Amino acid sequence: MATTTSTPIEWWNNLHENGPWKSHLFHNTALAAKADMPLPLDRYNDAAIEIQRLLANASEKNEGFRAIGSRWSLSDIAHHSDQIQSNQLMNIKMPVVVQDLHPDTVLLAENLFLVECGNVIKEIHNFLNSHGKSLKTTGASNGQTIAGCICTGVHGSALDVGSVQDCVIGLNLITGPRPEDRIYLERSGRPALSDNFALKLHSRVLRDDALFYAALVSLGAFGFIHGVVIETEDRFLLKRYVKRVNKEEALKLASSLDFANSSFKIAAETDANGKGRRPFHYKVFINPYVDDPDYVVELMYKKPYQPGYPDPIPGIKTALYKDLIHLFIRIAVNWQNSIPKLIQILNTSILPPVDEELTGMLSEMFYDAGYQGPAFACSVGVDHINSPKALEILVKLAREEGPIPGIFAMRFVKQSKATLAFSKFPVTCMLEIDGINWETKAERMISLEQFCTRMIQVLQDSGIPFTLHWGKNADWGFPCLVKHMFGDQLEEWKTERKKLLPPEMESLFSNGFLKVAGLA
Amino acid sequence: MEIITFTAYLRSILFLFLLSIGLSSCYSVRLISRDGVPEPEPTNDDQDFYKNKKVFVIDTTINLKATEGSFSLIRNCGPLGFYAVEYRVSLGHILLSGITLGRTRKVNVKYVRLKDEN
Repeated sequence: MATTTSTPIEWWNNLHENGPWKSHLFHNTALAAKADMPLPLDRYNDAAIEIQRLLANASEKNEGFRAIGSRWSLSDIAHHSDQIQSNQLMNIKMPVVVQDLHPDTVLLAENLFLVECGNVIKEIHNFLNSHGKSLKTTGASNGQTIAGCICTGVHGSALDVGSVQDCVIGLNLITGPRPEDRIYLERSGRPALSDNFALKLHSRVLRDDALFYAALVSLGAFGFIHGVVIETEDRFLLKRYVKRVNKEEALKLASSLDFANSSFKIAAETDANGKGRRPFHYKVFINPYVDDPDYVVELMYKKPYQPGYPDPIPGIKTALYKDLIHLFIRIAVNWQNSIPKLIQILNTSILPPVDEELTGMLSEMFYDAGYQGPAFACSVGVDHINSPKALEILVKLAREEGPIPGIFAMRFVKQSKATLAFSKFPVTCMLEIDGINWETKAERMISLEQFCTRMIQVLQDSGIPFTLHWGKNADWGFPCLVKHMFGDQLEEWKTERKKLLPPEMESLFSNGFLKVAGLA
Repeated sequence: MEIITFTAYLRSILFLFLLSIGLSSCYSVRLISRDGVPEPEPTNDDQDFYKNKKVFVIDTTINLKATEGSFSLIRNCGPLGFYAVEYRVSLGHILLSGITLGRTRKVNVKYVRLKDEN
């Protein structure tokens, strides 16, 4: 049987140490041993019973309960002051078979997989690769759990793909301790799997578009996400280029995403008419404190999979332009624990030389990201059309009211249908600011909290519609923030939540983050 | 006077030489699985590579009999093997092994197992 080790705690912290926050009970759940329960489906269903036991226990004590994955979120979205449950050891993976398909579906069974909540992206990559398949997109690295990714909206910079949650076609939720609280939820307009599949998970079927899209980016509030059914595709290669581009041209591309008619071209990536091909991935790196005439951009172009390509991992390991915090740490390598020294470095450092060209699979391009120390990350979503203006506003803020020890990047994500997806614009530009945590009093600088508040104020003053990344630092208690970002979709999300959860379970699955943000 | 100065100079050189040997003899090497996934430990808040990973440490001394040329340390390393193995060698380890003609060996190994596949 699945087992849970429960440990009394006083404090809990996330990976990047943006806390600590008070909490009092920490659970770590492990699956039944294979020798005792050889079939993965049995171990999966057995784990559901264990989760329901924990939920019953929390409910009896009138306490809240929060599941966590790799604790990568920088906001306190994963924290609960009562009980926290780590699900990283719950990592069943199963292919979907043809008999499991809904009769009306157009999906192919070979592309569908059930993955349990605690699978980290890297192990899903490995599993899919052994089936000749690939995820459609990931974040900039591979250490998040799948449930953590989808409920906070993790994204890469795949212009025409979307975020991780957008490849989910079914959600297996546990909304309470009763047998009927195990639910398989999918879209009514695009059913994917049969009722019999849900029966195998001992779950009742709900097919409801509004509920599905509300629960897709759930912020952990729609019950325990036990597993998700994901749609994958044949594995493919990405050819990666890192180039210096004139600042105006890089921003023109950001606002237009018109690679065909841009003066920026990569000779090997043009069509028969000599026009630039549309990349799979486009990312812009910016040091806001230096008036460099160029930005550095990272582009990746999709190619059919062919074996025998050179191992890209040595190049990826030494590459500079990967996830933003990695680049920041490399620029700030000589900061000697002095924030003024660090700011001096940023004020005089143009972006370092570009990386070499590399080719590899998605799993290789977005490879392991080592722990870089306590860090902050802010991320603002705007319609890509508005991205140059929004960048200008945030750079002005960082220069005039900062400086802050961080640098900027722009990534681009296709629209998600999830009700509270921050990637809500036709193509959302995620403007990111990553850096290291700093002490305010000692350095007489603007604090991170003040910066996060001012970020919202200057964006509101500009009139540019925006969103914020749920898993990153922000002033989540800013008055009417979520309403400002999502309008009527906020009430829609709350309504769907009430449809799914009885009041006592709404309370159990609510935490400080949701309450502060006005979501619970 | 000049002889004393020269002797002190030699001593300094010797000291620096031994120090450089000592420092360069104290090192660690970490081997990591390219595609492996580490066994997680969500309560591990170490400020280094091992953060969030379940770490096992072997810190022991092996005493061999005169007839034993090599040894194997058998540990429960999980059914799948290692995600990362780091071994550490210091000048003290080398000296101890040298003085005892290889019969006493300090073992300092840190490892992380692969996460169980399901």
